[in-house]
Amino acid sequence: MGWVNIPSPTAFSLLLHYFSSKSQKKTMAMRELVTGAAACAVPGSSSSSSNPLGALANALIGSSSKPLEGLKEIPTSTTTATEPPLYQDATAEDRLRGLPGADSDHSFSQHPTSQGSEFLRRFRTSDQNGFANAWDEIQRSGPPPPPALLDHGLPPPQLQPTLDGPPQRVLSNLLHSFVGSSHGGIPFRPAPLPALGLSEGDKQCIRDRSSIMARHFFADKSEDFINTQVNALLSSLDIDGDVRVKGPLPGRFQELEDYWNESQAARRPGPPQVDRWVTEFSQHRIDHGDPNVWAHSFEQQHGANGWASEFEQEQLISAADQMGGANMSNLSTMEQTRMLARTLAQNNDPKFQNSKFLQFVSKMSRGELIIDDNQVKPAALSSPGDWATEYQQQYSGGRWADEYARDQLSHGPDQWANEFAAEREQSRPVDDKWVNEFSKLHVDDWADEFGRQVGEGAFGESSTDNWADTYDEYLNEQVVAKQKPDASRGVYVFTDMNPYVGHPNPLKEGQDLFRKGLLSEAVLALEAEVLKNPDNAEGWRLLGIAHAENDDDQQAIAAMMRAHEADPTNLEVLLALGVSHTNEFEQAAALKYLYGWLQHHQKYRTLATPELSDSLYYANVARLFNKAAQMAPEDADVHIVLGVLYNLSREYDKAIAFFQTALKLKPQDYSLWNKLGATQANSVQSADAILAYQQALDLKPNYVRAWANMGISYANQVFTSASLFIILFLDSLASVG
Amino acid sequence: MATTELKSDAIFELLKRFLGTEEGIAVKNKVNLVYQFNISPKVTPPFFSMIVCVCLDCFLFVLWSFSYGFGLQKIGIDEVVYTIDLKKGEVIKGQYEGGKPDATFSLKDEDFIKLANGKLNPQIAFMRGALKIKGSLSAAQKFTPDIFPKPAKL
Repeated sequence: MGWVNIPSPTAFSLLLHYFSSKSQKKTMAMRELVTGAAACAVPGSSSSSSNPLGALANALIGSSSKPLEGLKEIPTSTTTATEPPLYQDATAEDRLRGLPGADSDHSFSQHPTSQGSEFLRRFRTSDQNGFANAWDEIQRSGPPPPPALLDHGLPPPQLQPTLDGPPQRVLSNLLHSFVGSSHGGIPFRPAPLPALGLSEGDKQCIRDRSSIMARHFFADKSEDFINTQVNALLSSLDIDGDVRVKGPLPGRFQELEDYWNESQAARRPGPPQVDRWVTEFSQHRIDHGDPNVWAHSFEQQHGANGWASEFEQEQLISAADQMGGANMSNLSTMEQTRMLARTLAQNNDPKFQNSKFLQFVSKMSRGELIIDDNQVKPAALSSPGDWATEYQQQYSGGRWADEYARDQLSHGPDQWANEFAAEREQSRPVDDKWVNEFSKLHVDDWADEFGRQVGEGAFGESSTDNWADTYDEYLNEQVVAKQKPDASRGVYVFTDMNPYVGHPNPLKEGQDLFRKGLLSEAVLALEAEVLKNPDNAEGWRLLGIAHAENDDDQQAIAAMMRAHEADPTNLEVLLALGVSHTNEFEQAAALKYLYGWLQHHQKYRTLATPELSDSLYYANVARLFNKAAQMAPEDADVHIVLGVLYNLSREYDKAIAFFQTALKLKPQDYSLWNKLGATQANSVQSADAILAYQQALDLKPNYVRAWANMGISYANQVFTSASLFIILFLDSLASVG
Repeated sequence: MATTELKSDAIFELLKRFLGTEEGIAVKNKVNLVYQFNISPKVTPPFFSMIVCVCLDCFLFVLWSFSYGFGLQKIGIDEVVYTIDLKKGEVIKGQYEGGKPDATFSLKDEDFIKLANGKLNPQIAFMRGALKIKGSLSAAQKFTPDIFPKPAKL
């Protein structure tokens, strides 16, 4: 992740920028971030000003509203200053010495007074830096310590109630030098400090926040370095920062221990605090438009707050399932199995519903079973604390986000099938169980066959892979089906992002494009037209024809239905609907529209009898059309309808005859040539069909449907030398001609 | 009856013609198995409820309709049986008479059309429960929709 790679100077300057940001809102937000009263886990320290880090933030932010130079001029040397220790407890002193960094030259017992006076002098001289003003502000706004702390009988916060200066300042200076040490990447040398009388709550807050901030500052440093830095800081503040030090404290620190346990309990789920921080942080980043690499890349990958919510989700899952010790791969496996189980549960067969396979899968999805070392095991139920510990182990430190992202990637959805296949292969015992189950369900020879093949192992490997691949395909198909749910129901589906929307005259444009043979473009233009004028029958009709020529009957039907609504008597629309329904094998609908053609035709209207429209039988309709053909043998349209009708009843020879008759009357109709070709192809006369298609394509080179039909014919055709010869011969003729 | 005509009829008809061609004979020699197809037609709601209301067992109908929705197809209802005999190269409407077919597929009319047009993968159909298989699995695995010629469109 990006944030590991940011050089610390960058991080530091970013922070300074942040503090000096002109936007009051952002400053406030940052202040909240650092003081973070609500995020502090210790009860009683809810007031932001009562914790020293918050005070520091206030001071910094407050002073930064004055020129930034004030901040830079803060003498860092004062960090070494100490005051005479007020808290001369022997045990505390020993503890201080034992901690890393406490053995520095400036041990507080050596030059206490000189250092102290030095400090006081510097304190007075730095008044004009504006820092003291800030300090006064803190003093004024600082509320009395919360009563809860006093109730606990803690070592009384000696200076806090009377707060007359130095300790807070010392603390802020210390923190400054801590921040400053990040600048050069030098190890932080803690200075001995006077006992500040910090309450446990304050210490808690300092510990938590300083470790968080340290991770941010030292993003490019190693984990050990961060820990050392933080520990040095904390030890100088007499705070038990190191987790390793968390032994039971001597008797009088019982309350401390309670606090410690409490805080640990609060920390253990890990994220609540941290994730709030990240959420807040990413929000600020968005506001700020900061070119901070990690935040951006993280947001791109997971969306703002993505990981936090994702993590919470997974936490919920694991909590609900009492799924202790589950690692990430198991969790993701569970997720995937759950999907599978859901799909399988949709299966309607009661036998399948009761099968052990489904039970197995659903158990897997609930996490009751896990696959481990080639064996299916019931998941061990253990306290959620375990997994949290493991989580911390796995993802401790600055690299956790990195690892999480990698983990996410490696368990990405496209790989689950492979993973699942692998696991399926591992779980051979389960396979066998499944086979047994199956053998009970189905006829014996099937089961025997299956069992034999599993025994041979031939089936096992190949089919599991196959199966997973197929399932993947199935999911893709589902997605596609979701995208286009209405097409099958006769509702027209418009194209997204149509460039012709807003065109001054899309109908004209569409007609031109259609004439030029640019079918897909014409479809877009015509869609724009019918969006503009939904009652334009001509627009819908052309759209339907364009779709039919583009070999999309579903859309053609949908468009033609709209055209039919707008103009119920249009003969071409009725014929096109009849043809499209014939292509989709919808005989009843096709008959209805073809009969409608007869009913609305000027000449043949008399033939249509009203009682027939209730129950349409193919034979009756064909008889009527034959009569019509006798009435007007010169009308190509009647012959076309008859050809379609005979296609419907699969009397292809008759249909071919009628189309040929119609072609004599209308030789320039490319769609008629295609109809003839299709009929010939369906009656398995591929060679003839190809000739007809070629005629159609000569008339309209971009006739997609004819090309598609031609492809089908070539696929179905046997290339005997004779037919190949004929085709070559005709091709040469065409090129000469 | 014209109204209960299956869409699949056209495909089987086409296959019947196709098996007469040289290409069809090549397919026949390659597969050399007997498949039976049980095609469930689309049942229109008024037609079907009329029949069922005459039935005494209305309770079962209520259950049926809740679990499958009204008036839709269901595998195993009013099946039309087709036999594709790729040993002899025949398509017969009805049961196979030369013994047991190698594999029997049961599916809905709509799904059969999708299958024959290559829009539905038989393995997916099987997983969804849209396709039921009975008989020899190895025979069933040799089945491919490629044996059906694609219908040309007008």
